[in-house]
Order: sequence, then structure tokens, then C-alpha cells
Amino acid sequence: MSPVITSYMHNAFKQTARSGPSVMTADYWLLGSSLALLIIGLIMVGSASVSIAESKLGEPFYFLWRQLLFTGIGLLTAFIVIRIPMTFWQEIGPALVIISLLLLVMVFVPGLGKEVNGSTRWIVMGSFNLQASEFVKLFMVLYLAGYLVRHNEAVRQSAGGFLRPLALLMVVMLLLLLEPDFGAAAVLICTAMAMIWLAGVRISQFLLLIIVVSIALALLVYSSEYRMQRLTAFLNPWADPFNSGFQLTQALIAFGRGEWLGVGLGGSVQKLFYLPEAHTDFLFAVMAEELGLLGVLLVIGLFTILIYRAIKIGRNAENRERPFSGYVAYGLGIWIGLQAFINIGVNMGVLPTKGLTLPFMSYGGSSILVMCIVIAMLVRIDYETRKEDRVVQRKGDKVW
Amino acid sequence: MKEQVHKPASRFRVGTILLVVFTVPVALGVRAFDLHVSDRDFLQEQGNARAMRTIPVVAHRGMIVDRHGEPLAVSTPVDSIWAQPQEFSVTPQQLAGLSKLLDIPKHKVSQLINEKKQQNKEFVYLKRRINPALAQKVMELGIPGIASLREYRRYYPTGEVSAHVVGFTNVDDIGQEGIELAREQWLKGTDGSQLVMRDRLGRVVKHIDLIKSPKPGNDLVLSLDRRLQYLTYRELKRAVFQHKAKSGSAVILDVQTGEVLAMVNQPSFNPNNRHQFKGYRYRNRVVTDTFEPGSTVKPFTIVAALETGRFKPHTVIDTTPGFMKVGTNVVRDIRNYGRIDLSSIIQKSSNVGASKIALAIDPKKLFDIHERIGFGDLTQSHFPGEATGALHHPRIWRDIERATLSYGYGLSVTTLQLARAYLVLASDGYIKPVSFELQTSTVKGEQVIPAKYTHQVRKMLQAVVEDGGTATKAQVPGYRVAGKTGTVKKVGPNGYTDDKYVSTFVGIAPADNPRLVMAITIHEPRGEHYYGGEVAAPVFGAVMAGALRLLDIPPDVLPANTLNLAHVGGQQ
Repeated sequence: MSPVITSYMHNAFKQTARSGPSVMTADYWLLGSSLALLIIGLIMVGSASVSIAESKLGEPFYFLWRQLLFTGIGLLTAFIVIRIPMTFWQEIGPALVIISLLLLVMVFVPGLGKEVNGSTRWIVMGSFNLQASEFVKLFMVLYLAGYLVRHNEAVRQSAGGFLRPLALLMVVMLLLLLEPDFGAAAVLICTAMAMIWLAGVRISQFLLLIIVVSIALALLVYSSEYRMQRLTAFLNPWADPFNSGFQLTQALIAFGRGEWLGVGLGGSVQKLFYLPEAHTDFLFAVMAEELGLLGVLLVIGLFTILIYRAIKIGRNAENRERPFSGYVAYGLGIWIGLQAFINIGVNMGVLPTKGLTLPFMSYGGSSILVMCIVIAMLVRIDYETRKEDRVVQRKGDKVW
Repeated sequence: MKEQVHKPASRFRVGTILLVVFTVPVALGVRAFDLHVSDRDFLQEQGNARAMRTIPVVAHRGMIVDRHGEPLAVSTPVDSIWAQPQEFSVTPQQLAGLSKLLDIPKHKVSQLINEKKQQNKEFVYLKRRINPALAQKVMELGIPGIASLREYRRYYPTGEVSAHVVGFTNVDDIGQEGIELAREQWLKGTDGSQLVMRDRLGRVVKHIDLIKSPKPGNDLVLSLDRRLQYLTYRELKRAVFQHKAKSGSAVILDVQTGEVLAMVNQPSFNPNNRHQFKGYRYRNRVVTDTFEPGSTVKPFTIVAALETGRFKPHTVIDTTPGFMKVGTNVVRDIRNYGRIDLSSIIQKSSNVGASKIALAIDPKKLFDIHERIGFGDLTQSHFPGEATGALHHPRIWRDIERATLSYGYGLSVTTLQLARAYLVLASDGYIKPVSFELQTSTVKGEQVIPAKYTHQVRKMLQAVVEDGGTATKAQVPGYRVAGKTGTVKKVGPNGYTDDKYVSTFVGIAPADNPRLVMAITIHEPRGEHYYGGEVAAPVFGAVMAGALRLLDIPPDVLPANTLNLAHVGGQQ
């Protein structure tokens, strides 16, 4: 959409090898922002986990080393994924659904699944735990993109066209809610709805769908005492700051202590056992305390750039007759955006607490690995689109 | 896939998504601004309420040192382990470790904390005053709700040797006895307070602000000389042991200043071991216990006589036949000394002689001299629990009272009062306040006896120590010394007993140019001997032999003369 950038990229592309995607041909904004988030994330995981690692494991950088290892594995995986054509993912879509269901069921198999803090979300793999929902979200986006391409007309014309994939999605969501992982389920349904919206579902039907989904989510909240408790705690955390509101008030205090520029890296007090999950779900609050408003705005800005670039990549792909790539890019961008902003919102007390990680930043191998794959796919989509572009340009056609 | 041309999403649909993508971050940014900037006062206040605590900065107590700066009482850092019952949570291994390190049974630890938890208490000591290294190990267990507090514990390097003077403090470091009690205000530190940030486990992570700086207590320099103290302690202990005595006291005063250079008692106690804190052990008998001084007051009877002008040192008194009837009572000497002068009355310690003098002078004079030398009065040492003794002034003096008063019955004094009275003789008639603290210059005092008479009496006291006197065992090779023995029957439930004595000796050294006065009191010796000259005088001799050399006081008798004198003495 910006001719200057586009032409610049074309020039850059011409200078590079034609065989495959390379850094020279990539979307710098996307790569730059995701890399920056990864690095800030590593620094903050190290800082936030020092005390807890020292106290529980006797090794202050335990979590940092592991996170570095995950990042390494993630980057290696990314280099593999970047070489896989998008058509491959389109073709194996239905298989990915089966794998997703399998993963979600495996969580409940004794000996395979692992329960942490009352939630069964992990599959034990040696010294690592695989968080099923992270992969399920990715696979479901790929599947849904494929479905939307295959049944595009049906989706646009009839209610049945978009309700069928939603039914499948309901099964996945049910399994997620059984873990329970309300956050992942909510992110998944919202991402799916945004994708269906972009695929061209009728506005009237879509509004109806929004109402139904909203009621369903509300019922889910009301039906569970612990979700209800979290909701009320979120509405007024200061009513019971030492019990239900404990985590949230500690997070808010972290923001207040951070002021403009933060208390300085390593200076957080809230991470000293006051703030539970300081290196995972509430990493953002620790960062807010140590890096202040400046750090907070920087990270929010980086996420915004990343999401915008993902949608733009999707748009470009769609415009060049690559609808699958387009839907995948939209889906991935919206998913990251939802998850990031929900996590940040939870940290800031504008959304009720749920167990969602901050993409690229929170401690967790599955999350980091999946995010690396996501960026690799976006780069791949971008690359494939540009390759097409170049071919098209040679033919002298005008695309825009 | 491309059979059918794909219709891309409309600008409107992408636009709505982009609208959300851009508005949500803006909303989050506004919220962040609110939290970081607008609400920060409230949030920081809340955070501080949870993490900030004002904790005391313990100030240590002043050190007590001897006159040469040698430590007698020092405060050493110790740690007390305490728990926050509300935060306390342990694994079985941690509890086992805690129990083992603190030497408290596991169930006791849990019981103690649970009790306090139910009472909603926020603080309970688990173990006080443990070695900092041990406390470190306890903290390394990393148990939430367990913390250590720096405190100071008094340590007394000289142990039982100077325990009675220095005294001791209680578990809260407040002086309970001795100098520790007397100078509490001077020695005690004033705790400061500081604002700290604590982590959720209660450990201090950051010092924010010193609200009030701790004011350590002041150091105190005592007049004691640790070397003399050790020497005196050793010799007294030996005498008490050797004569199977019940108790004993000794004190050395500096003639020029009235300072206490040494003060010891038997039995003693180790101030570092609280199990030994029993009244009979820690009482400083030198100042708290009174007794009838007996013959040791005879020199003052002589002074009173000399002051009348009717008696001279060579005035002869007939003590024949060694006893005399006074009313219905009989005053006895050990044997018949015949016609002897005042010097010999002192040298032989003749009760008959002293009584005859007393009956010849105004009884008020006798009372008066006792009052002037400080009997019946405090020594101004300000030592806690100091006794004044008793000095009676009857409206009508009966003869027997006049007679017995002349040889030390019918009044009571402390060992310190006795030493101070002799200090008057040693310092040419000046009475001085007794001081436990280092004096920077000589203390003049107040003249209560003309110097002339003190010189004359000192000469007489010299004869007591010389051969033919009652206290030859108080001799110090190389020095001329003076002194007087006393052997008093103790008062029992039915009057004076026949088997319980107080053996005393008060001496002055050197005799011509006095520097030290020493008084020794030994209660109820049960050995072969009970005379002051046999039991108490040897302590003086032994201590002074060392003390005079330690203090670099030049000998006044050349070695040859000593030998010669000894030889002559032997022939007599």
C-alpha cells in the first residue's frame, strides 16, 4: 500500500538470489518488530525470574537459559518452516485438525498430561512440557484458512457455510475448556470469527453469530465459580487485595512504581514473590515496573507494527490470488494481536485474569516455538507473494 | 485453486479489523499512562504498604574497658530468629532442618507458630541470640516467614575475675548489676530505625532510608587494672580455698585518686553463663556486705587519742594482767603484754590497751573519728547496692560500749569503707571519694585528720608487719609496708559465736610514700587458722609483691637491708 516501500522491496529483491527466501527479501518491519520483542522478552524473562529461580532452584538464570534454548530451537524450526511452500499447509489442513484433537486428548491421558495450578494443559516430553493449546491455535488457523478458501462461496452465501467449521471449532473449544483453558478458547473463537468476517460472511449473519458467541462466553463465565470469582476480582481488585485481588493489585502496583522510565532493569520489587507468575503471564507488569511507561509503549507499538504487517502481508497475498496465504496471514496476525493485547489488558486490569502468555516474551517453550513458526510462515507468505509479483511485473501487468 | 478468481476481502472488512488493531493499542497506551502516571501515588502507596517496613537498627552498647583499655565487657553481634506466623510455611525437610539448627523439637516449632497464628500475632521469637553463622544457615533454608534480627550480646572477656564490678545485662541488654547497672544511661545505645523494602518472604532487599541513626552507647573506662584484678582474684581464691572459707573479698585503692584498682570476691560467677546468676554468687560483697571491723579500727582509736594531745606515740599504757573488767564484762588480750606504748598496742593489737585509751577520752571523739573516716556513710562510689554500715551514737555512752568500740565492735562497715578509711591514713589525712572510673588527675579530697597523726599511726602500722607484729605474712620483699589485722567473732542467732570468724587485713604500700591501700576480708575460715594475720595478711603480701612491681613503684628497701633486717628480726 505504500509505493515507496513496495518499490524499495522490489529493488532489494532483484538483487538477491532467486532460489528461496532470504533476509534481504523479507519484510523488515515484521522481522524487526518480532526480533525486538523476542530480545526484550529474553531480557525480561531473565530479570523477572532471577529471584524465583534462585529461591526454588538455586540457579538464578535457570529460566533464562531454558528460554534461550527454546529460542534457539524456535529459530532452527523457523528456518525449516520458511522453506515449506504454503500449499503444503493448505493440503494437510484436515490432518492438522486430527493432530489438534489428538494433542488435546493426550493432555488428559495419565502419564502424558501434566497438571499445573489446577489446569491440565501440558504434555510431558522428557524435561520439556508441550503446551497443546499453542499448537492447536496454529493448526486451527491453518485449517480454517483452507476451509474458507475451499468453501468461499458457501461462506459468503449461506449460514451453513460458516457454521460447519464453527461446529468443529466448538469441539476443539470444548476440549480446551475441559483443561480448562478459557483464554485459549476465547482467543481461538475470536480469531476464527475475524477470519470468517474477512472471508465475506453476511453482515446480518455475522452480527447474529457475535450475539450467540457472546452469550455462550458469558454463560461459560457464569457457570464456573472460579471464572466468576476472577471476574469480580477484576472488577474491583482493591475490594479484597490480599485474596482474590492479590495478583492483579500487585500487577497494578508494578505499573505505578514504574512511572515514566521505570525503576531500572533488575530493580523490580514486585517480582520478589509479590507478583505470582512474574516471568510468565505477568511478565508485562514486571517490565512495566522496570522499564516504565516508555517500555510499555514501545512493546505495545512493536506488537501493533507486527500485527499491521501481518494483515498487510495477508492483504497483498489475497490481492495476488493467493487466498489461502491471505487468510493464514490474517489469522496469524489477529491471533497474535488478540493474545498480546488480552495479556497486556489483563496485566493492566482492564480484562479479567486468564492464563494467557504474552507472545514472543513470556517464558514457555511451546509459546516461543510456535511464535517462531508463525513469523516464519508470514515471511514465507510474503516471499511467495513477492515472487509472484516479480513474475507478474515481468509480464507487465499492473496489480494495484 | 485458481480456476475461480478470488474476490479479496473488501476495504470495509479489512478496515474494521485495522480499526480495532489501531484503537486497542491506543486504549492500552492510555490505560498505561493512567497507571504509570495518574494513579501512581495511590499505587505506590499501596505497594509501599506491603513492601516497606520500618525496622529497628540496633545500636550496640558501649564497651567497658580497664584503665589501660583492655576490654572487660564488649557487645558482640548475634542474631535472633523470629517468625511471621501468618507467612510461615514449610516443607517437612525445611522443618527438620530448622528444628535441627535451632535445637528445638519439630512439634514445638509448629505448635509455637500455630498458637501465635491463631492469636493473629505477627511476630514470634523462635530462638534468640544465636551465632550469626548459625543464623545464616537457618536463613539459607529459605523458609517463608522466617527472618533474623541483628542484636548484640554482652561478652565479658575476663569472666569471673571482674564479674562483680562489671556486673551484667539481661537478655534485653539492660544493665542488671554492677557498673552495667550503675552506668546504664551512659552505656546503653539508642536504637535507630530504618525504612526497608522487604520481599514477600520478609527478607530485607533494599535499604530505603535511615529514619533515625542508631546512637551506640558510650564506652566507659574503669579505674580497674586488669593485671591487678587477675592477681588479686588469684590470691584471694587461693586463700579462700586454702582456709576453707565461706567467702572472701578484697579491694585495692589508689591512694592518690581514690580509684578502685582491683575488687574481687569469692565465690564468683561467670557472667557469660546465665545459669550461674545466683545472688550469693554475684553479690559484690566488697560494697554490699557489712561486718564488725574489729581490731582494724584500732589505729583510729589511736588517732582520736593523739588528737586530744594527752597521748603521744610513746605514751605507755599498762595492760597488765592482759584483761580488764568493764562493768560486768571482761576485755581480754591474747596474753599479758604488760606496760606497752601506743605503738605496741597497735603492733600487738591489745584490746586492753585500746579500751583504756577509749575510756580515757571523750566518747564523742571516738564516734567523731569514725564518722570523719567515712564509716556509716556511702563511699560516693555510686555502686549499686552499696551498704552504709552502722555507726551508733547512743545518747548515753556506757563504758563497755566505749571500750568495745575502741577495738571494732558495736559498729559495722563494708570492706570498701575499711579500705577508704585506711586511705585517709595513707594520704596524710585526706578522705577521698571512691571511684570506679578512671581519674585523669589526682583527687585531693578533704582533710579529716592532721597529717602529723597519720604519719605517726602509719609508723605504728609498719611495726605490725615487721617481725614481732601480728602480720608478718603481709611483708613484701623490697618494700616497707604497713597494715593492721583484724579477727572478729561473727554474730550468730545467740550472740557472738565461738567458731565463726571474719579475718581481715588492711594494708598500705609502700609505707613511707603510700600508693596503694588494700583491704582483705575472709569470712568463716574453717581451716587450722582464723587470725587475720594468718588468713588475710598473706593475700596482701602476695598481691602487693606483684602489684608494686607491675605499677613500677620503686623498692624502698635495698636487698641487702632486707636481708639484714630479716636477720636481725630472726635474732629477736
